[in-house]
Amino acid sequence: MLCEKCRIREANIKYTEIINGVKKEHNLCSQCAREMDFTGYSAIFDGEFPLGKLLSGLLGVGEEEEQQEDKLAQVVCPTCGTSYEEFVKNSRFGCSDCYSVFDLLMSDNIKKLQGGDAHVGKRPKYQKMQPASAVLEKDEEPSRRTAKEQIELLKAKLSTAIAEEEYEQAAKYRDEIRELEKEENQDA
Amino acid sequence: MLRWFEKAETSSGNIVYSRIRLARNWDGHMFPQKLSDEEGLDLVKRLEFGLKDLTQDDGRTYEYALLNDLKDLDRQALRERRILNSGTVAKKSPVGIILSEDEATSIVLNGDDHIRLQILAPGLHLEELWQRADRLDDYINARFPYAFDEKYGYLTSYPTNTGTGLRACAILHLPTLSMGKKFSNMLAELSRFGVTIRGVYGEGSENYGALYEVANQKTLGQSEKEIVELVTKIARQLDAQERKVRRMALENHRLEREDEAYKSYGILKYARRLTRKDAMIFLSQLMAGMADRLIRTEEPCSVYRLMLGIQTANLQKLSSKPLNQEELDVARAAYLRRELPLLREQIS
Ligand SMILES: [Zn+2]
Ligand SMILES: [Zn+2]
Repeated sequence: MLCEKCRIREANIKYTEIINGVKKEHNLCSQCAREMDFTGYSAIFDGEFPLGKLLSGLLGVGEEEEQQEDKLAQVVCPTCGTSYEEFVKNSRFGCSDCYSVFDLLMSDNIKKLQGGDAHVGKRPKYQKMQPASAVLEKDEEPSRRTAKEQIELLKAKLSTAIAEEEYEQAAKYRDEIRELEKEENQDA
Repeated sequence: MLRWFEKAETSSGNIVYSRIRLARNWDGHMFPQKLSDEEGLDLVKRLEFGLKDLTQDDGRTYEYALLNDLKDLDRQALRERRILNSGTVAKKSPVGIILSEDEATSIVLNGDDHIRLQILAPGLHLEELWQRADRLDDYINARFPYAFDEKYGYLTSYPTNTGTGLRACAILHLPTLSMGKKFSNMLAELSRFGVTIRGVYGEGSENYGALYEVANQKTLGQSEKEIVELVTKIARQLDAQERKVRRMALENHRLEREDEAYKSYGILKYARRLTRKDAMIFLSQLMAGMADRLIRTEEPCSVYRLMLGIQTANLQKLSSKPLNQEELDVARAAYLRRELPLLREQIS
């Protein structure tokens, strides 16, 4: 059988990928397999390390995890629309808010991969400065999140917390949502 | 003006060049992957506008271009010279590039992240490169606030870059060490120290040219200084190991080593056609022979420059018409005949 990717070399590696419970079989030559990097060895240089695949798929999914997967499948970042499934597929985020939406899910895995889970080192010096876009015609207001957007973000974080069975966190998010909703109603 | 890799090699042992890369994103904007073409183009334009006075900051001359306006061949050639990664070359959506005249400094806009800054230099100079990148980073940040989080540091498209967003790399020539039986074990061992190493032109025995890239594995939980020190230390150790086995080979097999270097030179200087594989193997042997002073050219010569020169897109670019495989091999041999300097009279 020829390798399904390059269709030049003989396929000598067979592997099964399971994403969200769906099985997919792949036949690859060793070179393409390396390029696909499911061993997570080389592509780290270009940042294409399959963290998402580490979270699901290739590590195989047990039945318990499958239920959890179902719950996670519903988590979507309200700002950019990145879903959990999309993240697992591409191993990348769509915006800064994804980090807080998928935070609970990432912490352990990122620690495994990175060796630490908190940043040390440089911090940006000029965060409060007016962006250069100010000199362009379109003036860019450093956007403040509206209460509604804040609630959406918290709801996404709540879903992750429930899926991860972090009930204490979940309760905290629920309270924050209630608080914000109360304020919203009072304002109206 | 000469490009950084065209300058004749200073004595840097087996460390060919160093590379620093920083990934940053503009606060309040979705990452490139989520931007429409229109939004992407707008973002690139604003970033370019904000950074239009880079020259005044560091005295270097910069060129600004939209990748989408470049020919596919030019994009491929930028990849061969390590200015772009293969993902960015393939991108259809708007990508901007700011490139210094010597190609040592480049900023890719709206590629994998909004801003990816890269600085290259021959030899092992990660410390200095980091200091320059740090300064340039502040210059950019003074104009564009960054996506930053207390816990995750600089936020990047790939969570595997978050934290410092820093990748520090050293590219080494390890022709003798990599032939040893224990080499693959040694590479595996290295990952325990938090670095990865891979062949620049392929894996295992297919990495013709014997160039290897060492880089930090982690970006979170380690400071920039620690990362730079770690990669520098590992690069020095690999260089020392390579020197050691080379010295032994030289003591025990001087004639063979000399013969190898001269034969390689002879083929490179006179062959009428050369595959990429053969050219890389002979250039690697010449590189080792020159480093060990077994063979000397009349004028100083950067073998790494020749390794870049014989890559496909570069040869295609030099030609007035598209080349097929055989024509490429002929063009490659012609390029080397032209570019390889004559040998200096042998002293011994
Ligand atoms: Zn293949
Ligand atoms: Zn998002």
